[in-house]
Amino acid sequence: MSKLFRTREGDITAVDTKTQLTTLGSETAPGPLLVPAGAKKLNAIIVAASSNYAVAGAGTFICRLEGGGLEDGPETCVVGAAGVGVATGGASATNSRRIQLDLDVVPANEIIIFGENAGTDVGTTSMAVTLEFQL
Amino acid sequence: MSKTLTVEGTVTAVDTVVRLTSQGSVTAPSLVTPAGVKMIKKIVSVVTADCLAAGQVTYILRLGGSAVQNGEQTIVLGAAGNIAVQAGSDKAPAWTVPKVIDSVDIAVAGSDTISVSAEMAGVDIGTSEVAVTLVFE
Repeated sequence: MSKLFRTREGDITAVDTKTQLTTLGSETAPGPLLVPAGAKKLNAIIVAASSNYAVAGAGTFICRLEGGGLEDGPETCVVGAAGVGVATGGASATNSRRIQLDLDVVPANEIIIFGENAGTDVGTTSMAVTLEFQL
Repeated sequence: MSKTLTVEGTVTAVDTVVRLTSQGSVTAPSLVTPAGVKMIKKIVSVVTADCLAAGQVTYILRLGGSAVQNGEQTIVLGAAGNIAVQAGSDKAPAWTVPKVIDSVDIAVAGSDTISVSAEMAGVDIGTSEVAVTLVFE
């Protein structure tokens, strides 16, 4: 039983603002993220996020999964958090994290991925989310 | 029994696919999957940046080539961010420990070429280093 991995990323520029992740690095318009043919489950998500620390504050980062590809409707998951006391000199590097899920999916239907910064604005945040599908 | 393949490289610009083709002192390691393997079972990775520019990025791994049986797979490796320091100040280093993704289960063909690439997305934070180990079974 093999797995398939699909990724989207994007920048979040304001707090409490649902931001769709639509790009994939050099692919500026990869198109809708469709549940692959034959996929039975969304097994897990692999996520990472980082802010540019341009604003002193503390925020949490949330991922939202929506769209007809999710058989039981929208899902949400915490992705990370960042905070900095002064807007001069903050820096971080972090690995992504795999979060095990068990979501039923509908092949050939779209899953829309959103990122959101909650709490206080910490500047611009880049977020990337990989969907791990089980064939 | 498992077999490993490690590659690393330098990513200097955002939204640019960079093939990871070196391995430290080995400048051109074989990018052929071991004979008889059927899956990538595990991925071990690290990312870091010199943080010489203010910005924020995520890192994406692309696995492709004719060995990968269901087409290119993309996986998030990590993220980094940075803002410029006050004049005369130093900054803490940005470092990570290896990340391991178990049970990746990406179907591959043995004895075929694999392409391992990395990419920064977001706003350039300087030069990044990415290293990836694929564990085959």
